[in-house]
Amino acid sequence: MPANPAPALEIEGVSVSYGKFVAVESVTLSVGAGECVAVIGPNGHGKSSMVTAVAGLVRRGGTVRVFGETLPAGSPGAAVRAGLVLVPERRHLYPDLSTRDNIMLGSYSRTRRLLARQAWEDVSDVLDMFPELARLLEQKAGTLSGGQQQMVALARAMAAKPRILLLDEPCLGLAEAVARRVYDWLGAMTETDMTILLVEENPVHALLVADRAVRIYKGLVEQPGVAA
Amino acid sequence: MSEFLNLLAAGLTSGAIYGIFGACLAVWFRVCNVLNLAVGDFAMLGAIGTAYLAQTDHFPFLAAIVVDLLAVGAVAWIFDRLVLHFAFDRGSGGHGIVSVFFYTFGLSLILEGGARAIFGTDVYGAPAIWSGPALAIADFHVQRAGVLVIALAIISGLALWAYLRFTVSGRAASACGESVLGSRIVGIDSALFRRRMLIVTAVLAALFGVVESPLTGFTYQSGPTISLIGVVAAGFAAFRKPGRAVAAGLVIGVAEAMLGGYVSTSYNDVLLYAVLFGIIILRPEVLGLSPETA
Repeated sequence: MPANPAPALEIEGVSVSYGKFVAVESVTLSVGAGECVAVIGPNGHGKSSMVTAVAGLVRRGGTVRVFGETLPAGSPGAAVRAGLVLVPERRHLYPDLSTRDNIMLGSYSRTRRLLARQAWEDVSDVLDMFPELARLLEQKAGTLSGGQQQMVALARAMAAKPRILLLDEPCLGLAEAVARRVYDWLGAMTETDMTILLVEENPVHALLVADRAVRIYKGLVEQPGVAA
Repeated sequence: MSEFLNLLAAGLTSGAIYGIFGACLAVWFRVCNVLNLAVGDFAMLGAIGTAYLAQTDHFPFLAAIVVDLLAVGAVAWIFDRLVLHFAFDRGSGGHGIVSVFFYTFGLSLILEGGARAIFGTDVYGAPAIWSGPALAIADFHVQRAGVLVIALAIISGLALWAYLRFTVSGRAASACGESVLGSRIVGIDSALFRRRMLIVTAVLAALFGVVESPLTGFTYQSGPTISLIGVVAAGFAAFRKPGRAVAAGLVIGVAEAMLGGYVSTSYNDVLLYAVLFGIIILRPEVLGLSPETA
């Protein structure tokens, strides 16, 4: 990663409210191209609200720019088309659809294919990153283990060919061995030119792969920090 | 033998009616988890509206069908924009069991009242699309409108099945019903799918009303009965599989006709629900339900 990378993701004064409750007050953060930044902090202080707002899934104030392009608020489709893809907390797969369909639909915003079979052929190379999913392609996602479902969620995100990956608590509820595999994969991703914003409650996990970390406390970025 | 064949023809015709409305219900439920209890009212608007335009306003028949179907599509679009958009997309009331049926039940009442005000209480039947005497092969007789009903049901069921099974758009539509947030994450506009599918199924139901009305006739009160029939057929398809709903409708129709012909029509409803309950309890996987969720 270059010493001072050009900003890939710029978050300026982003705020999120649920009725009268202010979840995120005014977060400003810049993530350089190819950088991996961890967002840490205790539960319930706005980390997940911030990333879901950046991904366009909840209403927000403030500005989000992806490689200089300003994203419209509340438009997840525009975020995905700009190359910003979220792997959400608790995954949000389609439980009654097959693993194959779950992964294939990751490419929905960029595919122009009519047939699902053709769209799958365009994205099937993500199995190179997750070879253990190859034998599970016809299985319904809802019947997979938690670790397998997390792999499907990551594969779905990679099918979108993201330039910026937002990961919200990717190891939540996973056994330690599975969490280690997720972090091994994330570590490999940091060796590529992928830009990553990682929300993680556990700072020990986060700092295994992040270049630096910011802490969100009571809806505000509290302090910048540098990974050891 | 001729009695059996004629019962079969009658059963397939009524079964096609069950099936197509079940398919309309199932495909929309699959996309947004809402039961369209107004599907029968869309059929009523198709039948009565076309008949009214053709017979009272003297529109050419084809033009009457086109105008009426456009009007039904517009009603569905307006309902989505004015009600469902605020209930589901703005988070004002899209959660809980009430949303599964409440909004479309209200729409059904509104359409029924509107139809009564505009068309009155008369029985309407659109002109037959394929007119002429019943088709006969030896002792086997079937009405031409019945042939159209069966053909339209099978073609529609196959088309919906193929759309959901083979196309990217169909898989995306299914994903909307599985997880709204999960679908939005990948850029699928779940509100757009809900709206489009409502319009498609409303227009399909209306077209079916036009085709069916020479056989059964329609009044402003016909909608709820049709919707109820559709709910039962959709129940046999776990409210998610339109192709299976058509197949289930055909089987139910034939079983009803045979029972009515050889035993008594008194047992029709008993048969229908006994079979449904039996499957849910003994073989829930047939309906796409796991034993745990049945």
